[in-house]
Amino acid sequence: MSTDHRRLGIIFFPAYDWAIDATHPEREERLLYTQDQLREEGIFDLPGISEHKPEVATAGMIERVHFCIPEVDAVTTPSHLIAAGGAVTAARLVMEKKVDRAFAMVRPPGHHAMKVVHGNRGFCSLNNEAVLVEYLREECGVRRIAIVDTDCHHGDGTQDIYWHDPEVLFISLHQDGRTIFPGTGFVRENGGPNAIGATVNIPLPPQTGDEGFLTVMERVVLPILEAFKPEIVINSAGQDNHYTDPITNMSFSAAGYARLNEMLNPHIAVLEGGYAIQGALPYTNLGICLAMAGHDFSAVREPDYDPERLRQSARVSEYIDTLCAQVMELHRRPPAPAGTPGEFAVRDKSIYYDTDGITEEQTERVLICRACAGLRIIETRASSFPLSICIEIPFAACRSCREAGEKHLREAKNSLRYRLIKLIDRPGKNVESFSDQDVSPRSKYFF
Amino acid sequence: MLLGIDVGGTHTDAVMIATNGIHAAAKVPTDHEDLLASVNAAIGEILRDVDPDAIRQINLSTTLTTNAIIEEKLEPVGMLVTGGPGIAPGHYTIGRHFHLLRGAIDHRGTEQEPLPDAELDAAVEACRAAGVRVFGAVTKFSPRNPVQEEQIVRRLQPDADFISIGHTLSGRLNFPRRVATAFYNSAVWRAYIDFIDAVETGVRKHGISARMDILKADGGTMPAAVSRTVPVQSILSGPAASIMGIVALCDIDEDAVILDIGGTTTDIAVFADGAPLVEPDGIAIGGHPTLVRAVITRSIGIGGDSEVVVENGDLRIGPRRRGPALACGGPVPTLIDAGNVTGTAQVGNPTASAAGFRELAAATGIDPEELARRAIARAMEQIRDAAHGLVTELNARPVYTIHELLTGKTLSPRQVYVMGGPAAVLAEPLAQAFGLPVTVPARHAVANAIGAALTRTTMEIELLADTERKELSIPNLDIRQKISFQFTLADAVAAGREHLLAFLRRQQIEDIDDDMIQVVEADSFNMISNYFTVGRNIRVSCQLKPSIRAAYREAVR
Repeated sequence: MSTDHRRLGIIFFPAYDWAIDATHPEREERLLYTQDQLREEGIFDLPGISEHKPEVATAGMIERVHFCIPEVDAVTTPSHLIAAGGAVTAARLVMEKKVDRAFAMVRPPGHHAMKVVHGNRGFCSLNNEAVLVEYLREECGVRRIAIVDTDCHHGDGTQDIYWHDPEVLFISLHQDGRTIFPGTGFVRENGGPNAIGATVNIPLPPQTGDEGFLTVMERVVLPILEAFKPEIVINSAGQDNHYTDPITNMSFSAAGYARLNEMLNPHIAVLEGGYAIQGALPYTNLGICLAMAGHDFSAVREPDYDPERLRQSARVSEYIDTLCAQVMELHRRPPAPAGTPGEFAVRDKSIYYDTDGITEEQTERVLICRACAGLRIIETRASSFPLSICIEIPFAACRSCREAGEKHLREAKNSLRYRLIKLIDRPGKNVESFSDQDVSPRSKYFF
Repeated sequence: MLLGIDVGGTHTDAVMIATNGIHAAAKVPTDHEDLLASVNAAIGEILRDVDPDAIRQINLSTTLTTNAIIEEKLEPVGMLVTGGPGIAPGHYTIGRHFHLLRGAIDHRGTEQEPLPDAELDAAVEACRAAGVRVFGAVTKFSPRNPVQEEQIVRRLQPDADFISIGHTLSGRLNFPRRVATAFYNSAVWRAYIDFIDAVETGVRKHGISARMDILKADGGTMPAAVSRTVPVQSILSGPAASIMGIVALCDIDEDAVILDIGGTTTDIAVFADGAPLVEPDGIAIGGHPTLVRAVITRSIGIGGDSEVVVENGDLRIGPRRRGPALACGGPVPTLIDAGNVTGTAQVGNPTASAAGFRELAAATGIDPEELARRAIARAMEQIRDAAHGLVTELNARPVYTIHELLTGKTLSPRQVYVMGGPAAVLAEPLAQAFGLPVTVPARHAVANAIGAALTRTTMEIELLADTERKELSIPNLDIRQKISFQFTLADAVAAGREHLLAFLRRQQIEDIDDDMIQVVEADSFNMISNYFTVGRNIRVSCQLKPSIRAAYREAVR
């Protein structure tokens, strides 16, 4: 085995018996041809490459990340717990040093799932990457983590979860929100008042090709990562920037995906979207696996790959040049943190769960804090569920945020305004859920 | 009556079994330079007690191909291969006459790039000039569409003595394994058919007119006629013969560990619900993974003749063998000597064993008998740990459906079966180490030949039906036929069974009925394009599992 090869663990779980519905893109067939390709190429026989079974994520792993309304079982199926568990298995293999790199090729995806979950949006119910990040922080002692989201759609769920967290860097490259779901991810969205600069958005124009993606990697992603110095880098590896994807408009190739992963060199990759299941996924997944394992990927290409036809226009290149400069300018000279410590910063959000047809109105208040991610209190009312409140005392919370959290929990219980009161208390390693019918917790987990 | 012959590394064993019992048994030394002579000698011994006309069936397990590969007695093979895009060709290049040609087929079986005749001509010419007479024709995704393999075969046919054709070797997808399997199959072909010709001549000379089947590494047999096109399948059939012997000798219906303890090593196998587990992809040959299926076994360097050493006050057993036990005139104390000292064994000269352990113990201050007891316990714990490791590994194998992941079977052995020379001596300490009941079957010393005699044909097929393209294929039977858009999963399962049965009947394999065919996989995927169902992608995998001729089971108990 040559020394530049890395041990790569692949958690391949195609969930051949689960679909959102019979003709939905997120269906049984999705990874079938990828498996054919990986098997035929003999990927699992390459030195250092191994295949692993996913674990099933426990309720505790989910509840320390998400406020599931009314509870985990109501918004998930076993498929979601296995996809999230697969991401955790990837992290576990790396942290236990059984492999150097791991790729969770699991479905369904997760990056549109936000802090509060009323249902499925953008094919996602649970945020697989966030479940994995909180496993790393809670159980492995990892503190600084970067997630680079290379799905074509803005990773709005992951952004929402880590918006206030200065220790988790979230970078998303995606097709410009003015042209595609979910319509967010603009340059000025760069993190909450406690975590300015820890969110980076790079909205790319339609028809961005290999050149554009790799330019962004070189000029924006790698320098920001270099400065942040994460202990672990995660690629939220959507494959729908591919030129054959049926629901997007980009011109990225399998070779480009492989090269991007070679540059990024993530410890862990988690499959996100990608619905060109015959023309793209077999080749992009092959390229990513080879790149992560440090094997030669120069012969990976799609049967209909034509670099001339896919070359991005000069206009797109110019636009991307300007975009990179803008993002770096904002990163180098971020606006001063707004607000006064001890006060709440407030955002109102309307969220639409496209898969389940649920609408949600949220008011999120976060305690401005220079010592931690800040106490977070979310009031939520959905078309499917009455007004409830979610209180998160964040990971590594400071003492005053912990005390404020306990005070707000007492007040919420006394107010009698909420159908559900949910608490995530990370320093206390405790999650609780109270209903308005009952003063004792409906459910309580220690993790 | 059935004649089973196992040409092993040390001995060639033969047994003659009728429904009413074992009628003859023979054991002759194996002559590595002349395996044929060993086979003839064993048959000669058997025929002292048996009338040749009474023999209905011969099953032969031979190390011929195994030895040819280990000793690198391989004929040069012209490999004609189209790879197309994908992993780097360095991963599947094999042999000195490897020709990578242009041409590509994708995962749906669409020919994406033709194979230029001029390139093919040049490669064939180069092989001819080098004096190459046997070939491998392999293309990526040939089980999906063999068109380019067929093109290569057509071009080669006038000149080749033999061609291994990728898709006929297995329907499973794994291009580098298909390349290596074709290579080794052609490389041993000539030596193999010369041997089989000679064995058949020898058998006729002995007055035997019975049909002959050849053992495979998966615990089953193939007709000799079939084996002439897939000689590589005869590799490593010895361990499988022993395991099938245990199946014949015992009533196993639970999860179990099977140990074959030899002089130098112990082979470990695991049974699930009484059936041996077969490597789903295949074994590695000469360091190359192949598509040759084999019973899953692990070998550990502990056997009866393993040296017992005290090193810095620490006991170590094996993996070295420096000779037989002291009790049998060997140079160093071994596990067998330990058995003599503790009193579980009565082998050779126990005084020599006792002296050896007194000397070992002197350095440690431990009582010699206690030291011998600890040596055996340590060795058995190492075997147990290796067996547990194998079980853990098997339980960790990936599955691809939520149903299997949540409700799938977990192996949990309830019983240990032991065979091999030191089996009886080590049964009690093994029971201690495993914490499970241990069985040593009465006739375990000839389990290999009994297994060889009684095991039956195995065969597997992979069927793919694509109702969008209206095509059904079974690559290793070289079947391709038209189907309708309405073709269902049930139709596919029925077709798979039918074609497999028809193939077996063509080989005149008796006593096969439909319920012996096991459907290993049956999946149907709706193929969707733009939110419309355009067809079904149906995959069925059927097999005839390794099994023992039931009518003869009582005869060997």
